[in-house]
Amino acid sequence: MAERPPAVTLGVPRLVLGGRLLFENLRLHLEAGRWTCLLGPSGVGKTTLLRLLAGLVPGGLVVTDDGRPMDGRLALMAQQDLLLPWLTVRENVLLGFRLRGQRRRRGAALVARAEDLLARVGLAGRGDDLPAALSGGMRQRVALARTLMEDRPVVLMDEPFSALDAVTRHRLQDLAAALLRDRTVLLVTHSPREALRLAHRVLVLGGRPARLREVPVPAGEPPRDPASRELLEREAVLLRELVASVTRGEEVPCASSAPS
Amino acid sequence: MRRIGVLRRPGLVLRLAVPLLLGGGWELAVRLSGVPHWILPGPLAVGRALVEGLPVLLPALAVTLAVTLGALVVAAAGGILLALAIALSPLLEAALLPLAVTLQVIPLVAVAPVILLYVERVETALVLCAALVAFFPVLAGTLSGLERAGTAERRLFALYHASRWQELVHLRLPTALPHLLAGLRVGGTLALVGAVVAEFAAGHAGSRAGLAFRILEAGWRLDIPRMYAALVLLAASGLVLHALLRGIERAVLRRFHLAPREGS
Repeated sequence: MAERPPAVTLGVPRLVLGGRLLFENLRLHLEAGRWTCLLGPSGVGKTTLLRLLAGLVPGGLVVTDDGRPMDGRLALMAQQDLLLPWLTVRENVLLGFRLRGQRRRRGAALVARAEDLLARVGLAGRGDDLPAALSGGMRQRVALARTLMEDRPVVLMDEPFSALDAVTRHRLQDLAAALLRDRTVLLVTHSPREALRLAHRVLVLGGRPARLREVPVPAGEPPRDPASRELLEREAVLLRELVASVTRGEEVPCASSAPS
Repeated sequence: MRRIGVLRRPGLVLRLAVPLLLGGGWELAVRLSGVPHWILPGPLAVGRALVEGLPVLLPALAVTLAVTLGALVVAAAGGILLALAIALSPLLEAALLPLAVTLQVIPLVAVAPVILLYVERVETALVLCAALVAFFPVLAGTLSGLERAGTAERRLFALYHASRWQELVHLRLPTALPHLLAGLRVGGTLALVGAVVAEFAAGHAGSRAGLAFRILEAGWRLDIPRMYAALVLLAASGLVLHALLRGIERAVLRRFHLAPREGS
């Protein structure tokens, strides 16, 4: 990564989605080079916030502390791996370069880097395989490699580990934490444990219109030991709060109009 | 041991047994009832007529198949190009889709005389008529396939600043390929039907007469076995065409590592 990751602030004056006032005067701040985790019940607007940050939905104002635009400086990792089944693993990793027309011009160097990244996510020598030949965990690792290939200072992740089994999830969390250290990361998750394990800061989104609230994280650098007493205690507290907020009626049932 | 192998595949046994039983029953019924062959010929008489009629029927089949293939090429090019244009521009969709649907709902037998009226060369008119029928499945298949690309994938492409054209070429077209090919397969068999219907409407005789005219001609001459023989030839070519298109479909999908469309 050539440049220093910026701090990013998203301001949302007012956002109505599906006839529902989702946000009003909301401000989300991501510290430079740190992991921020966004927690909250489903339907509260976590993914919408992420899309506002990515500029995929209009209505948000994104400012960086170095004054340069966000455009072209962020990578996204989604819950689904979004691998194209007709491309090999390697070409999937190189998709962004292919679309920017850089695939041919810088062919050999790009392939070498893609292979290196595949090796780092534990998929050395699988570059010629098709996505269909890989397990769910492996496919998500390819998605991680594709995200890393983009080499962006800001990385947005939308529940990238939630569809995985517990062991694979744990490994992939470690891997992502190591490979995306020092970047400005927003991780949207509904798992308090994941948030407490990986984040420098944990924000909880709740209420209507939704507000952000910061909760304390365990001591030490992420990725933290998921079995540490402090983490487990905080997880219990956080879970109780989330359950309470849902019982108060802040949760929005999964209606068709709710953003997913 | 071989027989056991065949019996383990009841589908194959039935595929062979049902036509054999039907044919045998037909032959038996014709012989026992003593129906004259100019009313209902048995399968053996039809087979004889087929062999004897080949010098006339094969050139006719060649003409019909040429019309079919020409129509398929025109329909494929037209259907795919129109689908791409519609996918790229909602305005074109509003302008062209109703027109395409209108063309589809008018029966070919009704349009064919009109087309024959204005197109000088009969062969060209026949190809146009058959293409008119074959074109819609290609268009519909390609269109529905182009809509299959997931919103999440499209968001990823948006984040990569992919242009509409790139999204089409790198995402929507590969996603559409199985549907496009299924439409092409349906269109191919319809092209044959369209070719025959158009030939009926044209009533084109002479050396460039197609199979449809030979059926009409045999009917006028009360050569019923030859009518049946021409029908058998038509059915066989339809099956071969279908199998051929299916083979192409599978080969292309395998080449692009795509699964064939389900339920087809």
